[in-house]
Amino acid sequence: MRVVIAEDLALLRDGLSRLLRAHDFDVVAEVADPVALAAVLATQPVDVAIVDVRMPPTFTNEGLVAAIEARARRPGMPVMVLSQYVEQLYARELMLSGSEGIGYLLKDRVADVQTFVDAVRRVAGGGTVLDPKVVAALLSRPERREPLGRLTPREREVLGLMAEGRSNAAIAGKLFVTDKAIDKHIANIFMKLDLPMDHDDNRRVLAVLRFLQDSAPTAP
Amino acid sequence: MSAHTRTARGWPWYARWHTVLRFEAFLSAAIGLAVGLGWAAGGGYFWPGWVWLALAIPLGLQAAVRWGLRAPKGQRFLAVHTSVSFALGVMLLFIWLLGGARYFWPVWPIASLAIVLGVHRWFVRNRPNAREQALADRVGVLTRTRRGALDVQAAELQRIERDLHDGAQARLVSVAMSLGLAESLLETKPDLVAGLLTEARSTAVAALDDLRTVMQGIQPPVLADRGLEGAIRALALDIAVQVTVTGGLPGRAPLPVESAAYFTAAECLANVMKHSNATSAWVDLRYEAGLLSVVVGDNGVGGARADGGTGLRGVARRLESFDGAMTVSSPAGGPTTVTMEVPCELSSPKT
Repeated sequence: MRVVIAEDLALLRDGLSRLLRAHDFDVVAEVADPVALAAVLATQPVDVAIVDVRMPPTFTNEGLVAAIEARARRPGMPVMVLSQYVEQLYARELMLSGSEGIGYLLKDRVADVQTFVDAVRRVAGGGTVLDPKVVAALLSRPERREPLGRLTPREREVLGLMAEGRSNAAIAGKLFVTDKAIDKHIANIFMKLDLPMDHDDNRRVLAVLRFLQDSAPTAP
Repeated sequence: MSAHTRTARGWPWYARWHTVLRFEAFLSAAIGLAVGLGWAAGGGYFWPGWVWLALAIPLGLQAAVRWGLRAPKGQRFLAVHTSVSFALGVMLLFIWLLGGARYFWPVWPIASLAIVLGVHRWFVRNRPNAREQALADRVGVLTRTRRGALDVQAAELQRIERDLHDGAQARLVSVAMSLGLAESLLETKPDLVAGLLTEARSTAVAALDDLRTVMQGIQPPVLADRGLEGAIRALALDIAVQVTVTGGLPGRAPLPVESAAYFTAAECLANVMKHSNATSAWVDLRYEAGLLSVVVGDNGVGGARADGGTGLRGVARRLESFDGAMTVSSPAGGPTTVTMEVPCELSSPKT
């Protein structure tokens, strides 16, 4: 799997690169700013880009902007956005560029290497991975709107774990129930959210998108 | 300052008056001389003294006014008063002399003039003028708000130091200890190492969490990224009640103002969560006529007071350092509206 890493801090860039190489990723380029990232994406076939939010020149949210631009140029381009802090606002902006192949995680999550590597693979495969912090914030809000209001608390919990990018087996393990029970919950979620019969991965992404939109602010 | 200073619009009015006065003085002297010669020819009672006095009165008064007007701006009124009083006193003395210098009656009018002049002088000295009063008030406000700002700053630094010491620093010490122990056990008891490493990792992640919380309290990253409007929108998303953000700003406020406005809005929204029982809240942002205004409202139970808890009082103090103000409207039963206004200039938005 071909990966490009965009991170301005050399220490973290090298660490990420070492970690990914150790897990059989092909790190094709390591860059330190959004311009170099765009150049790499324009010239080389890349399966997933791992992008830090804060990069030169202004050290604010260049990485986020670069990720959204990359996806505008190549729709569905898988991008994993990493940051020292997470904002629901940014998660939402990323999802607006299309909900497939998007990851948004705290850098802390890299410490759990296996989960992180799985998340990168999932994103490269078109899945959605949101940081548990974003998901927790979404879950803490009382359900206000249809159709998410129709979900039971348990189903909301399952949906939250789906948004974190966990597999059915992982969700079952986390909630101490059988895979079969999880399958049932997920089928109910799809039904209650009126998701069309389709490829399962795609429906998962759509469900997560509904989840994010639930707490979207009303347009002024 | 010379009375003859030429201004852009020509001679000042009292300079033209000067020319008239000279002509008047010349004419008076001519008349006086003629009258004197007339008396010298005829002799008898020295009546020209009265004519001279009559000619001298207008000249003397005008000269006194002119002399008074030469005083610097702001003291002219008193100077004119002084010179005219003096001229009147001298005239009264001359009248007394011409009248035969018997009973010294001018003492009464002269004393009256002196008393009025004395009162005037005392008044001018002891009552500072409007400008000085305004400056004195301003100094008072600045002294108070500077002390307030420094207090707030010192308290913040102390809080940050304590948070870092008890949080991230302590956790990193623990990480170092776990790693050191793991290193020493690698040879002898390798089965214990895996557990120590896991512990070190989870403690390091907890330290990161602590650091993030501390940084959020110093300067929320989203505020630097997106400015006040974006940061408030991000904040609204993280709050468990529905918060609607309306309005917007045409540019970015200076950083310290942005920060103060953000934390005041955050404090107000925290109060909404803690005390109001509200089901929805709203934030309105505006910039009009040099005034940044942030209004936070909710549909809760009301009863918030600006002088109540430390929260809102801290907010008010924080705003004061920027000449800002906060008003709270929160009748029992609600709704609550907190309005914050800070005068500032916006920079043009980033392109």
